[in-house]
Amino acid sequence: MGKTEKAMGLRRANDPPLLILTSLAEGPKHGYALAQDIADFAGVQLSPGALYGAISRLEERGLIEALPEIERRRPYQVTAAGSAELAQAMREMRRVVDVGTHRLGLLKGRLA
Amino acid sequence: MGRTIDHSDGLKWYPRSWRDRYGEELAMFLQDRYGEGPVPVTARLSMIRSGTVERLRAGGIIGTSVDSDRRIRGASLLVLCAWGMFVVAGAVFAKYAEHWPLATPQVDQRVPEVAMGMVQVAAAAGFLILVVAGLITLPALVALVRSDGWKSIWATARWMVISVAVAGTAAIVIVAWNAQLGPSQSINTPWSLKVAGVVGGLLVVLGLAVSSGTIVAIVYRLRLSDQVTRMLGVLAMAMSGALVLIFGGALTWWITTAMHAPWFFGSFVPRSQSSPAPLAMVVLGLTMLSGLVLAGYGTVRIAVSMGRSGGALAPAGRTE
Repeated sequence: MGKTEKAMGLRRANDPPLLILTSLAEGPKHGYALAQDIADFAGVQLSPGALYGAISRLEERGLIEALPEIERRRPYQVTAAGSAELAQAMREMRRVVDVGTHRLGLLKGRLA
Repeated sequence: MGRTIDHSDGLKWYPRSWRDRYGEELAMFLQDRYGEGPVPVTARLSMIRSGTVERLRAGGIIGTSVDSDRRIRGASLLVLCAWGMFVVAGAVFAKYAEHWPLATPQVDQRVPEVAMGMVQVAAAAGFLILVVAGLITLPALVALVRSDGWKSIWATARWMVISVAVAGTAAIVIVAWNAQLGPSQSINTPWSLKVAGVVGGLLVVLGLAVSSGTIVAIVYRLRLSDQVTRMLGVLAMAMSGALVLIFGGALTWWITTAMHAPWFFGSFVPRSQSSPAPLAMVVLGLTMLSGLVLAGYGTVRIAVSMGRSGGALAPAGRTE
C-alpha cells in the first residue's frame, strides 16, 4: 500500500489523483465537471496537463474507469480499488489532522 | 457553442497512443474551459510538460506502464544518446589535448599518457559495442524494410542521411585544412579556421542529435526478440562501463596536466601562470558528466527491468 500511495501521490491534500478520487467519490464526472468540482471544494484549479496526466495514471492503475461517452465527453467513475485507496489516504490524513488539532489545542478552543 | 478555435494543436506533444485514447476528450475539456478564447500559456506549458512525460513513459524511459522489453529498449537508447554526447565531447577533447606532450615535462608524462591511452581504448571499445549492437539488430531492420518498405524507412531516416553527409563533408574539409598548417600555426590556429571549426562542430552536434533521434525512432519500430532485447541491454551496460572509463581517463589527464603543466591551458609558455580550469575543459567535463548521469540512469533501469523480468521479459508491473 505504501509504495502505491507514494507513486500515486495520495499523501498531500492538493495532489491531483487524491482530488480526482475525492471528486469521483460523489459520482461519475467528465474532465471539465471534475475540474469545476475540484475548484469548488478544494480551491485548486487543475491545469489540463495535470488533470489528464492524473486521469490516465489513475485509469492505468485501475483506480478509476471510463464510462461510455456522452456528447463526446467521457465520464469516469471510481472503482472498488480506487475507493479503498481513497479511504486509506483519508484515514492517514485524518490521523495527521487529529494530531495537529490536538497539539494546537484547537478542540479546547485555545487557538480557535 | 460553435468550435471556431481548434484546441487540438496542444495535443501534438503527446504520443499517438495517448492521443488516440484521451486526445478528443482533452480537446473537449479545453473547449469547455476556454471556449472560443485562446488557451493560456500556463495551460499550454502544462500540456507540454505532461505530453513530454507521456512520451517518456510510452518510450519506456520512465515509469512501469510499458512492458520490460520496451523499458530495456528505451533505457538502451538512453545510453546510446549518452554515447552521442561523449562522441561530441570526446572529439573536442581530442582536438583540445592533441599537443599536450609538447607542454608537459617528460618526467611527468607517464600518468597522463596512461590516462589518454585509457580514453582511446575505451572509445574504441564503445565503438565496437555500437557495431555489435548494430549487427544484432540488423536482421530486425531488414525485416522492417521488407514489411514496411524503403519509403517508410527513408521518410524517417532522410534527415539523418542529409545531416550526416553535411557534417561529414564539413569535418573532412576542416581536418584537411588543419593538416596543411605548420606546427606553429597548429598552436596559434588562424581565426578563420577557428570559425570553421565552431561551425563544423555545430554541424557535427546537429548530425549526431538528428542521428540519435532517427535511430531511436527506428529502433522502437523494430520487432526484436526477447533474447536480442536482453543482449542490447547488456551491450548498453557495457557501453556505460566504457563511458565511465573515458570520463575517468579524461579527468585523470586533466588533473595531472593541471598539476604538472598548467600553462598548457593558457599561454603554452612553460612556468607561466594559467588557470587549470579553462571554460572549454569545464564545458567538456560537464557534457561528459551529463552523459554519464544519463548512461547511469539507463543502466540502472536496464538492470532493474532485467531483474524484475527474471528469465523472460514480463509484462509491466503494477507498482514502483
